[in-house]
Amino acid sequence: MDKVMEAVDVVIVGAGAAGSVYAAVLAEAGKSVLVLERGPARKLSDLYSSQIWARRLKWSSPEVVETGPDTIWFNFNAGRGYGGAAIHHYAVWPRMHAEDFREKSLYGKGLDWPFEYGELRPHYDKVQRDVGMSGDATKEIWRPPGDPYPLPPVLVTNHGKVLARGFEALKMHTAPIPMAVLSQPYNGRPACIWDGWCDAGCPIGALANPLVVYFARALKAGARMQSDSAVSRVLTDATGEKVTGVEYYTSTGDKVIQPASAVVLCAFTVENSRILLNSANSAHPHGVGNSSGLVGRYLMVHPAVSISGMFNEDMENYSGATGGQLLCQDVYPKKSDPGGAFGSRQWEIGLALKPNDLLGIAMTNPTIFGAELHKFMADGARFMGSMVGVCEDQPVRDNRIEPDTKQDRFGMPLARIVYKQSDDGRKLWQTAAAEGVKIFKAAGARDAWPGPPAGQHIMGGTILGTDRTNSVLNATSQSHDVQNLFVGGPGTFPTSSSVNSTFTVHAVAMKGAHHLVGNWSSLKG
Amino acid sequence: MENVTRRTFVETAVKGSVLALTFTLPTGTLLLTPGEARAKEVPLRKLSAETAQILEKLGETILPGATAAGLTHFLDHQLAGDPNDALLIARYFQVALPYSDFYTAGAKMSEAIAQKSAGKGIAAMSTAELHTLVKSMSAPGGVVAGFPIFLFYMCLRSDAVDVVYGTPAGFKKLNIPYMQHIMPPEQWNG
Repeated sequence: MDKVMEAVDVVIVGAGAAGSVYAAVLAEAGKSVLVLERGPARKLSDLYSSQIWARRLKWSSPEVVETGPDTIWFNFNAGRGYGGAAIHHYAVWPRMHAEDFREKSLYGKGLDWPFEYGELRPHYDKVQRDVGMSGDATKEIWRPPGDPYPLPPVLVTNHGKVLARGFEALKMHTAPIPMAVLSQPYNGRPACIWDGWCDAGCPIGALANPLVVYFARALKAGARMQSDSAVSRVLTDATGEKVTGVEYYTSTGDKVIQPASAVVLCAFTVENSRILLNSANSAHPHGVGNSSGLVGRYLMVHPAVSISGMFNEDMENYSGATGGQLLCQDVYPKKSDPGGAFGSRQWEIGLALKPNDLLGIAMTNPTIFGAELHKFMADGARFMGSMVGVCEDQPVRDNRIEPDTKQDRFGMPLARIVYKQSDDGRKLWQTAAAEGVKIFKAAGARDAWPGPPAGQHIMGGTILGTDRTNSVLNATSQSHDVQNLFVGGPGTFPTSSSVNSTFTVHAVAMKGAHHLVGNWSSLKG
Repeated sequence: MENVTRRTFVETAVKGSVLALTFTLPTGTLLLTPGEARAKEVPLRKLSAETAQILEKLGETILPGATAAGLTHFLDHQLAGDPNDALLIARYFQVALPYSDFYTAGAKMSEAIAQKSAGKGIAAMSTAELHTLVKSMSAPGGVVAGFPIFLFYMCLRSDAVDVVYGTPAGFKKLNIPYMQHIMPPEQWNG
């Protein structure tokens, strides 16, 4: 006999960025909120300043079955436990541009969102006030309309200044990178000390991870968080028109039913699709909320290229924020690629470096070993410059998440990934790799090289749209099929743009959460 | 959510920055760095002596000093524990569990390559021969007899860099500040 818990107003699946926003808005509106997280509980004091210990913020086993031909880098991009992926994110928070929302209408490429930038702007503005963003809107000549940042820009060391010379030499612009990191104390939180440990988790709360801002508010308003609870299915009534709650497994393998008046899936891109597909029942034979047949479709990953180089001056690369110091979006216009590829790009400039880990000094050139590696480390610690180019990926219907024949320890099918980087994305990456080396050389690098193709930010699978012919969710992140089912996270994006996804995740979640609260009496099950 | 004061942050940051791990000795359980565990000849729990020797030879070739820093004790400790607690970069590369199978297979494959290319095992190889062997493993994307030898090389290289340079003592060697709120203990690597 399954254990049945006392009903709550809202159960939120996943304790990451989107879940934190929904939890705060709903709890502060007086709803009883339970957040179920598959991973472990975590406190700020668990966030050690070490790239080695930080690996516990990510999953240990292959959580998905990646069939290729390209990888989505699931384990590196996803997060495990309270805070989700946003516990180790770099907090680079540019806004998506107006054209990102209307690519099909404007260019005949990709898809359209069901709303335009102007409809999301107030949510961007509210989120940046809530979290305390740092930046200089006047210097971001590419930025769409929006309120000024509440805090001045993040630190720029010699690292940023030297690399900026390269952009200037090529007649390109740079601006302080917009970040959800406090350059000054804000709402009781301390300012950043520019220690470069952002992706190890920020234990002082200067970086706006979910534990610091929205979950703190949610808990204060009475929300509850529960770890080690692996949600396996969304449950519906016999008609399939409303969800009645979720089924989950405890760490000891006990199956539990959690009734709720509304369900919000915020378990990250892959897991949201997996849960919906695994929830198939007689009313939803292809998965809950999948009358469109699009659950799991249009999977996207930003093609990313790291540029590394050695200079002749001390770069002070150990200091600053991990996500960088400056931003360039001169290459954002969709048709600016000299090779004819469609899509936007951006540069994140001057990333703080550590000796080890995937993005550390050693890994920038993995073919070096032996005594030469010691020399390389010593050289890099003082003279290495670093920046990352992020490119747009196109929404391709065949790129998808689907149930695999392999099962997890609870007997639920794992997610299988079928992903091939879009042709445009691949070409943009090649342009970026060449351009990045050119910029470094122009900045005075004695040597510069691109890293291998990599992927950042996993998007799609439960996309927004106007109706069930083109999407899984409507403009408020609500299922087209089931009125009291909402989904949050980057999986809701119909297009990827080339900006980091977390700010938009917050804004879209804020929009959905307020809609749910504002229409509670008619939406709840 | 928990309010982290500067004091509690400092205390936990010390714990996290050192890479001191719990090792079991006949005389009891001690908190040691991998280098200290090696110096005290703490018995390995997961790796066979043969596999450990191969990993140590390869690791020392990849990054001289990795042996003294306790590379094999670090690996053995991680492979013997709960994979959810593992501190290995293998997590990021989505290496299938158990990780010990991957390292054991990597050691065996390296040994096979050594035998085929030099007619002798890794334990008997000279420094120059080891260098040639590792160079053959370092070709990006390399796969030998279905085994991702480059991925194995990447992981082992990263493990070596972790124990040599990924700690406060490692930062000190590079003359860069660790940039935490506090100076962690200096027991790492003795």
